[in-house]
Amino acid sequence: MLTANQVSADDHYARIAGLVNDAKQGRREAVGELVPELSPLLWQVARSSGLSSSDAEDVLQSVWLNLLAHLDAIRTPASLTSWLITTTKREAWRVRAADRRQKPVDHEWLTAIPDAGADSEQRLIMKDEQRELWEALRSLPGRCQKLLRIVAFVPRPDYDDVAARLGMPRGSVGPTRGRCLDKLRSALDGEGGP
Amino acid sequence: MTAAGNGRGGTQPDDGSLLLAVRDFFETVDPMPFDLPERIRFALALHDLEAEVARMARTVNETAQVARGAEESRIVTFDSDRLTIMIRIESNPDGTARVDGWLAPPQAHRVEMSMTDSSITAIADELGRFVFHSVPRGTGRLIVRPSASVDDERGDDPPYAVKCVITPALSLLADE
Repeated sequence: MLTANQVSADDHYARIAGLVNDAKQGRREAVGELVPELSPLLWQVARSSGLSSSDAEDVLQSVWLNLLAHLDAIRTPASLTSWLITTTKREAWRVRAADRRQKPVDHEWLTAIPDAGADSEQRLIMKDEQRELWEALRSLPGRCQKLLRIVAFVPRPDYDDVAARLGMPRGSVGPTRGRCLDKLRSALDGEGGP
Repeated sequence: MTAAGNGRGGTQPDDGSLLLAVRDFFETVDPMPFDLPERIRFALALHDLEAEVARMARTVNETAQVARGAEESRIVTFDSDRLTIMIRIESNPDGTARVDGWLAPPQAHRVEMSMTDSSITAIADELGRFVFHSVPRGTGRLIVRPSASVDDERGDDPPYAVKCVITPALSLLADE
């Protein structure tokens, strides 16, 4: 069954493919047009790597600047997505390593998210379903949390390439993603049921 | 979005809608700053142009008495190593801005007014004068492109450096 999500994912993919080609052929504005398409994904990658908001902003900026010098190495939209993810993770790592001396780092990535349980204001902002989803996500193994957070922002055709960047064998992101989604579904079910 | 909540209803959310709910969730609790892409694009444009960034040197607000009453105009000067850009910004009756500019030393360059989602171009004459008759309200920055890109007859050996000059973003209409 072809869902509306898949259709829009395909459009998205075609648009990015076109922009990548344009950029490689010297239309440099195309790189700028890719920025709003892929930055939301990179933001989640940077934040789930434990960066503060302002560090994440700096990292994203340097990742995109970096891309200008590496366009030749990009062949497909999928390889662009994985190159951007890899570079974001590496930069985030570098920033955190430099930062680690100055302040203790919390390794629990979900703490980057406002604590909806404790903060009454946030409770109001979050919809009921989102609060349930948040509780369910928190109950998953860390690897699943991180995978779903990033994969939710990745255009579908790029999954395989992205798998490698998340430290999984090529081709395994599908099954792993499926298992994580199943876990999330049962967690949601457990919460909603008796 | 009901994907996250309909577990109790018997029908389980499919992978696509569940992932969409996850994306929705993270966009709510940890959104990317909305203006970050624009700031990144600005950085890319600067890098791409190997542009020289002009400094805002002076701003003068003047109030001229005209027939209909007081009319605000603002004169802003930008300095860079090779070029001084002076612009006068006035309000048009329709709420847009008129921007008159001068380049010193006088040079026939292409001048671009670049705004968040559009840009307009003017060509400075030999005296270095250019005008944008109607610029939408908001912020914009000027990019002065060397005349080699206007007049390709100059060929490979333009008489002066070919770097662009770009100004910081400025508000086109004074609010005060």
